[in-house]
Amino acid sequence: MKKFNKLFLAVIISSTLFVSCSNNDDNNTPEPRGNYEGGLFIAEEGVFEQVNGSISYLSDDLKLEKDVFSLVNPGKDVKDVPQSIGFNGDFAYIIVNRGNKIEVVNRYTFKSVATISTKISNPRYIAFSNGKGFITNWGNAGDPSDDYVAVIDLTTNTVSSTIPVVEGPEQIIENDNKLYVAHKGGWNQGNSLSVINASTNTVTTNFVVGDIPSSLVKDNGTLYVLCNGRPFYALPETTGKLVKVNMSNNTVLSTIDFPGITHPGFLAIDNNKLYYTIGNNIYSASTSTTTLPTTETFKAKEVSTLYGFAVKNNKIYIADAVNFQDPGNVYIYSLTGVLSNEFSVGILPNGFYFNN
Amino acid sequence: MTLQKFYICFSLLVCQFLLAQNDSITKLKEVIVSDTNLKKYSDSQSVQVLNDSIINKNQASLTSLLNYNTVIYFKENGLGMTSAPSFRGTTGAQTAVIWNGININSQFLGQADFNTIGTRDFNSIAVKAGGGSVLYGSGAIGGSIHLNNDIRFKKDFSNHLFLSGGSYDTYSTNYRANVSSDKYSIQVNISRNSSDNDFKYPGTTDQKNINGEYYNTSMNTTFGYKIDSKNTLKLYSQFYDGERHFSLTSPNGTKTKYNDYNTRNLLEWESIFDRFTSKLRVAHIGESYKYFPSITSDFFTYGKVETSIIKYDLAFDVNEKIKLNAIVDYNRNKGYGSSINNVKRQVSSASLLLQHFVTDKWDYTASIRQELTDNYGNPFLFSLGTRYQFTDFYRIKLNASKNFRMPTYNDLYWQGSGNPNLKPETSYQAEIGNEFFTKNFSLSITTYYNSIKDLLRWVPSQDGGDNWSPENTNKVRAYGTEVLLEWRTKIKNHNLTLNGTYAYTVSESKQLIKGELLYKQLIYVPYHKLTGSVSYNWKKVSSYFQYLYNGEAYSTPFNNPATKVKPYNVGNLGIDYDLGKNNSYKVGLQVLNIWNEDYQPVIGRQMPGRNYTIYINLNF
Repeated sequence: MKKFNKLFLAVIISSTLFVSCSNNDDNNTPEPRGNYEGGLFIAEEGVFEQVNGSISYLSDDLKLEKDVFSLVNPGKDVKDVPQSIGFNGDFAYIIVNRGNKIEVVNRYTFKSVATISTKISNPRYIAFSNGKGFITNWGNAGDPSDDYVAVIDLTTNTVSSTIPVVEGPEQIIENDNKLYVAHKGGWNQGNSLSVINASTNTVTTNFVVGDIPSSLVKDNGTLYVLCNGRPFYALPETTGKLVKVNMSNNTVLSTIDFPGITHPGFLAIDNNKLYYTIGNNIYSASTSTTTLPTTETFKAKEVSTLYGFAVKNNKIYIADAVNFQDPGNVYIYSLTGVLSNEFSVGILPNGFYFNN
Repeated sequence: MTLQKFYICFSLLVCQFLLAQNDSITKLKEVIVSDTNLKKYSDSQSVQVLNDSIINKNQASLTSLLNYNTVIYFKENGLGMTSAPSFRGTTGAQTAVIWNGININSQFLGQADFNTIGTRDFNSIAVKAGGGSVLYGSGAIGGSIHLNNDIRFKKDFSNHLFLSGGSYDTYSTNYRANVSSDKYSIQVNISRNSSDNDFKYPGTTDQKNINGEYYNTSMNTTFGYKIDSKNTLKLYSQFYDGERHFSLTSPNGTKTKYNDYNTRNLLEWESIFDRFTSKLRVAHIGESYKYFPSITSDFFTYGKVETSIIKYDLAFDVNEKIKLNAIVDYNRNKGYGSSINNVKRQVSSASLLLQHFVTDKWDYTASIRQELTDNYGNPFLFSLGTRYQFTDFYRIKLNASKNFRMPTYNDLYWQGSGNPNLKPETSYQAEIGNEFFTKNFSLSITTYYNSIKDLLRWVPSQDGGDNWSPENTNKVRAYGTEVLLEWRTKIKNHNLTLNGTYAYTVSESKQLIKGELLYKQLIYVPYHKLTGSVSYNWKKVSSYFQYLYNGEAYSTPFNNPATKVKPYNVGNLGIDYDLGKNNSYKVGLQVLNIWNEDYQPVIGRQMPGRNYTIYINLNF
């Protein structure tokens, strides 16, 4: 009898030993660099419901600092899905989707300035015009009729009014005192753009561009809209489109269909050239093109899940969400696909925000 | 690595001494167990029975009961929120919950939510480790949990009332009435649990658990009627109605809530003719949920499945030593909901089971099952087990089985994402159990190996978009050791009982990391889990202490060390005093999480610190 008790005790003791051995991985909290001029920020959503999102900073000399916001602002966080970032004046606005708030920071020090949470519900993206901020909000994702754009008074950092819009407002971009809102569709599938007058805070028009408009990029008075097409699970499945919109009269200039049923991912423009993704293939074409290239420029073979994309100063930046749970990677390529750098970043990196 | 070696050495060493669990469940003639096959065909496996005295010492949820008393690990998304088990390193859907012999895992998810099952409605809850698909069908891979109501044909009128109130306005009520004679028996159980669940997070933060409130009400009725000396009718019925708000993970999050409504009805007609026992069972199981993505809006998504089951079990005792069962069953589901079109599914199966007592010391069981389904193939299953008693205190058990889990309603039929071409998950497993037992002591040490293929997982679809859909992906290899210990002693008026469980679990699948295939531990499977409890009774006072240790677990497939679930130790203390003379009128106090451990069983899901409960437990 005694023997058995001792054995059991041995198990208990040994298990506590293992625990104490493995407890020594507390890494010392690093000092923040403090100066974030230039470079770029990476929004890292974190796993939905796990509250482990973050913001990383990559300097012009390619030094990475992870979890910038928490380092600079102890006691505050942007962990519950930091969806996107917008810049205006000296400030950066971090849109925290599931946290239902906007963290306003100084864009050069990343020190917290204000938190906006009243009248923010499921926020997605931000743009600025006429001295105001405009944030797309889904509201209750299950309710198709409560979506809106929140108007931010940038002096008081409060929501001064809300503009009801059709379901699923996603990307938003400013041009000439107007805001263009892409209705990707939220839980459903959208196909239109809304145009908002930034002086009167009203929707002046809404028109169809194509199914699932996901990327908005402006260049020389033209708005380029990349539409993903309806996915196979939302019949009828449709192919993606590249749509050009004339922003002076808000009409569709041209529509180019992707061949067969193809669902492109992201669109970027750099030096009058379009760059877009299909899976982890990168394509490029002139902004004036009327047809789409038939072969890719290169395949980003290091990337398992292309989840964020940017092109700037002849470099292609790709965010890799890996398996949607482990830390993501960022890869930097030349325009022809030569990999120059790679970084392990936070969980679910989804976008690049250049701080200049 | 050294750690693994240590454990292998350890289990080998211990095998030299082995001890065994008491099989001393004395079967009173007037008590009819709802699921006789559990005992009959699980002798070669490890079955742990939690009776109502243990049930009453624990909190009312199945999560809490099993967390503190068994080797099963729980992925609980905050107190009272959704909760999934991991039994022997398997996923939540690979543990079957069996209500009076009927599998009640959700048809939508494949798994039962252990926080929507109250424990106080049942006379006993048994935990069977290892495969059980031959008897219990889909999902009995890691193990199965058996919720049992007994029927007593004995002249009796008794009442049981349990009331408790605790921190965060947590209330629990259970009333049970039993009226029976030698001809009929009625037992009615009514339970209600509710809590504001608005605890302050332990530590220095001011954060509170927001939107965590819940309530649930259930009623469980059993009725037995002896038609004549050969025929008995039994009826089991349960209703469960619950609403949970899901606690927020950040203070400005959107508040959501979830309603469950489940009904279970089972009618059984048992006839005994000489050496034949015939059981015809007809059951209807209804499950439905409503999910409100925002509590401020009336909008909700929902799903509902109704299942009808007919099961016929003919037992034939060839002689004293050889016993056979032939079972056929037919299952039909009808499901619909906001993302499921009206779909029907039919599954039937036929099984043959044999139990043979070769000598007093040696027996074995052998059983086979053939499934017939209309949409995921026709798996053939088997189970082979044997026991040999070497001495009057040591016994060895061996078992090997093939088990499966069928794709769920969501896997197959979720609009757009469902994949109709899925195969079932298949598991081959083997185990060796060593049992040492004396009158007051038992120890069992079981080592197992389980190989699971075609694991069903939702993965992002390849053609872009945000869509995920299910696929048969990985293989998993799981192995480990479980230790169960029980020791009782009595010196004059002092009664002491010690229970302990320990599990060492390795459960791995291959992951492609930067071009390399590497074995990684499954997420939310800790290598170590330990529970212990000590009860001490002296005259009218009884006191008890429970201890739980969960080792660290990974939360990502690549085992990112930065997002590990930290290990935690939790202890609960209880004491009660019996005021009654002929009847039992107990008044008690519990201190839960006595050293105020700050822990999260799931990343971002906080549990409460120290809290208190007072209760009365009346039997009259």
